[in-house]
Amino acid sequence: MINVNRVKAMLLRYAYNMRHSFDRLTDMFYWPAMDLLIWGLTGFYFIKSSAEFSSLLFVILSGLIFWLVVWRTQYEITTNMLSEIWDKNIVNIFASPLKISEWIAAFMVFGITKMFISLTFSSILAFVLFKLNVFLYGFYLIPLIVNLILTGWAAGFFVAGFLVRFGNTIQTLAWAGVYLIAPFSAIFYPITILPTWAQKISQFVPSSYVFEGIREILFTGHLSTDKIIASLALNLIYLILSICFFTFMFHKSRKLGLGRLIQ
Amino acid sequence: MAALSEVEGHDSSEVKLSMNPILGVKNLTKKFGGFTAADDISFNLFEGEILGLLGPNGAGKTTIIQMLLGVMEPTAGVIQYFGKNFKKYREEILKQVNYSSTYISLPWLFTVAESLEFFARLYEVDDRKKKITKLVAEFEIENLYHKQYYMLSAGEKTRVLLAKAFLNYPKIILLDEPTASLDVEIAVKVREFLKKEKSQYNVSMLFTSHNMAEVEEMCDRVIILKSGKIIAEDKPENLAKKITACQVELVITDDAQKAESFLTAKKVPFEKDRFRFIVSLEEKNIADFLVLLTAEKIAYEEISINKPDLEDYFLKMIELKT
Repeated sequence: MINVNRVKAMLLRYAYNMRHSFDRLTDMFYWPAMDLLIWGLTGFYFIKSSAEFSSLLFVILSGLIFWLVVWRTQYEITTNMLSEIWDKNIVNIFASPLKISEWIAAFMVFGITKMFISLTFSSILAFVLFKLNVFLYGFYLIPLIVNLILTGWAAGFFVAGFLVRFGNTIQTLAWAGVYLIAPFSAIFYPITILPTWAQKISQFVPSSYVFEGIREILFTGHLSTDKIIASLALNLIYLILSICFFTFMFHKSRKLGLGRLIQ
Repeated sequence: MAALSEVEGHDSSEVKLSMNPILGVKNLTKKFGGFTAADDISFNLFEGEILGLLGPNGAGKTTIIQMLLGVMEPTAGVIQYFGKNFKKYREEILKQVNYSSTYISLPWLFTVAESLEFFARLYEVDDRKKKITKLVAEFEIENLYHKQYYMLSAGEKTRVLLAKAFLNYPKIILLDEPTASLDVEIAVKVREFLKKEKSQYNVSMLFTSHNMAEVEEMCDRVIILKSGKIIAEDKPENLAKKITACQVELVITDDAQKAESFLTAKKVPFEKDRFRFIVSLEEKNIADFLVLLTAEKIAYEEISINKPDLEDYFLKMIELKT
């Protein structure tokens, strides 16, 4: 059973952290804004160069905005996990009645909250600057975003498993780890342009179905449910496996002593 | 808990406290590959008792504390709190346990107020505002309340950590060098606070310190560890009594040469530093020794007699026992 009060306490802990950290506060807005500006203007330039590229701007902007969902949800898991090591606080929280399931729940809720703030900000900016209305995806937005959240969580817990076992010596994984799946997610391009071996890998990357789906909606106005179901099935399998992996690595780490992570 | 109260090495008749072992440790072992950090450790902590855990660096104190907090898994052995298996009832048990250590930290950027609020919520303290206000006053950290943790001095951090440790009305508290880095005045106040918690609320404490005088003052019983093993366990005064030799310090200026010859001839163990002689004698032999000195017409200008204390015993144990 998850104790809601302790989950709320952990949410408060990460909210306080965000309040005091300029990095954590601004990264919700600064990087999405920069990405949108640079890639939006690049797309704009292509459109002006040739009519062939007329849909390119929305493809790029949609890719940027929706990739943010994956990035943000995984990043909040890995960096909040690392913050317990950086703050030498991991022993304090696990010398309390906090359970690992409550820690996991707090990561998920906090990640979703920050992701929605970031997503809302980016969507408004994309509309104001480039007239991209994310609501053009209609009700498809729900399965698309849900799937991307699941992908982000799965990637986050997988990376966090390594972090909780090996500590901050491999902390780069916290922000770089998820980019391993980015080329296979086909965020800005169709899967067909990938080499055959990479296409085969893409079949096992749930976000690839979502980004293919986004382009399908942009070009046809429809989304085939096969893509959503395939993505959802893979996501659920990966999420369960990643949480099991994280829990397993946490117990391996506890076997050696969590205190060693903060020495 | 009957079996745990008979844990090896604990003389229960010596402890004039409640006979309920609130914490029972039996055959606790932690191995890292071929290295044994804690080797078959067994002891009990009784209700309202302060138990000292002493040992040189690397003796296994931190390893034991980490296992007692559940942040390190033992290789073997059983830990029971309140008669319940720690592994099975971790959540329920940790609601009633807390700890403080000089070697940990609170979230670096948090203000003291935020840290205490967070931990009070994590431990689900009902009257958290009242409790925080009380502890902030007890540890005299009112002026630090809105300061960020990283801005505090080492002593201030220690006080905040102690306040955190008492947030959840713990029945057992593990204190790893609780007064390290405190100035003398505050250290005295902290010790008074700990004694008050013990006497008023029957809080049990496991206490590590490198300050032997503090351990003698605070602890009802002491366990000495060396290389992961318990090498002694008793009341501090009983351990000190195990060293029977007193140190008689004499300043002899005119008859220094004569005194040295006399002590050598009588085979009395001594150390000499110019005119200062430190002679090791059984307490009962001191009077006879002084009479003999007078008979030999060896005059001394100053004399002081130092009775053995816990520190002497501790040093002897960690040097001699393997």
